[in-house]
Amino acid sequence: MAGPMEQFAIRVLHPIEAGGYDLSFTNSSMWMAIALASIAIFLFVGTARPQLVPGRWQAAVEYTYDFVRKMLDENVGPEGRRYAPLIFSIFMFVLACNLLGLLPWVGAFTPTSHIAVTLGLAVLVFAIVCIVGFWKHGLHFFTLFWPKGTNPALGAFVFVIEFLSFLSRPFTLAIRLFANMTAGHVLLKVFGTFVVTLGSFGALPYVFGILPLAVNVALSALEVLIAVVQAYVFALLASLYLNDAINLH
Amino acid sequence: MPQFDLAVFVPQLVWLTVFFAILYFGVVALTLPKLGRVMETREATVTGDIAAAETAKADADRMAEEYDAGIEAARHSARDTVGAAKGKATAALEAKLAQGNSANDARLAAAEADLAGARSRALSEIEGVAADVAADIVERLTGARPDATAATAAARGALAA
Repeated sequence: MAGPMEQFAIRVLHPIEAGGYDLSFTNSSMWMAIALASIAIFLFVGTARPQLVPGRWQAAVEYTYDFVRKMLDENVGPEGRRYAPLIFSIFMFVLACNLLGLLPWVGAFTPTSHIAVTLGLAVLVFAIVCIVGFWKHGLHFFTLFWPKGTNPALGAFVFVIEFLSFLSRPFTLAIRLFANMTAGHVLLKVFGTFVVTLGSFGALPYVFGILPLAVNVALSALEVLIAVVQAYVFALLASLYLNDAINLH
Repeated sequence: MPQFDLAVFVPQLVWLTVFFAILYFGVVALTLPKLGRVMETREATVTGDIAAAETAKADADRMAEEYDAGIEAARHSARDTVGAAKGKATAALEAKLAQGNSANDARLAAAEADLAGARSRALSEIEGVAADVAADIVERLTGARPDATAATAAARGALAA
């Protein structure tokens, strides 16, 4: 039987190499493409003929868009709205990857369970925060790390800590999502293994498999929740970091 | 863990870049602004409709007030008209009554004058008759008929007594 980590293995579907770099189309790439296609269908159908009184699809798209806009309004303020498309893209992409990875039977792969993907997204957020911060405030952006109204010695100490915590943001952001996705899938796999092992107990077949199966059913529901919550957390933290860059506290 | 195999980083990052760029520039940038415009239009329409409803309500309220004021004014003018008509009728009646009274008074005065004339005429006739009767009585008693003037004077004196 496959080990619990095997589901995260990258399988090359179409080898590509350019300039000495391995750019192979893998199962991860495929599921990112599926996520992209799902979002594209959702958005293009939902906004094909936008109307004042929305239909079901349009209402669904508007709901998600409004959710992101409200989050930015609350956490960033009026200037946050111009970043709504970016945060919306990140949120939808993470959400689609998380949810599609939970599909059973189709050999689903969760790109967001790979630190390469989550780190890529987190670095994108971090880069945009830095660009916006320096573009809006110049070198004044560094006052973000300086505590107001303390003596210089303590201030310098806090400055170093704040700066390091700022630099660690992309890693914490990436690891949070990666760890949540990985842990969930490992847990599902482990309990799935229990179902098979205990269920194939020779003298009394199936009976002992029921309990881990019930656990797995509950875990699946929990994983759907986590998939949504982690996409929300990722987008929320991205907007909070943007708020730092735009408003400097 | 396959996640920490550095060999899988580059292809995943490249494909992530490709797909996220397509998502941002090819999907979200093409669809969300359309949706944003519709949502803004809807917001404007809703606020506009609410404002229009408020103006319509204010208009209706004002019209109701004007209507009430009109009714009140009409009632006042009707009351005034009725009062004026009543006053005019009373005045006309009083004028007619006064006219009738004065006519009656004139006729009464004329009748009284006539009556006085008739009385005095009757009195003077009575004088003549009394003088004649007195003269007859004197003639029969004395055989001599007294002078008519003296008889008349005597009769007037007796009547006046």
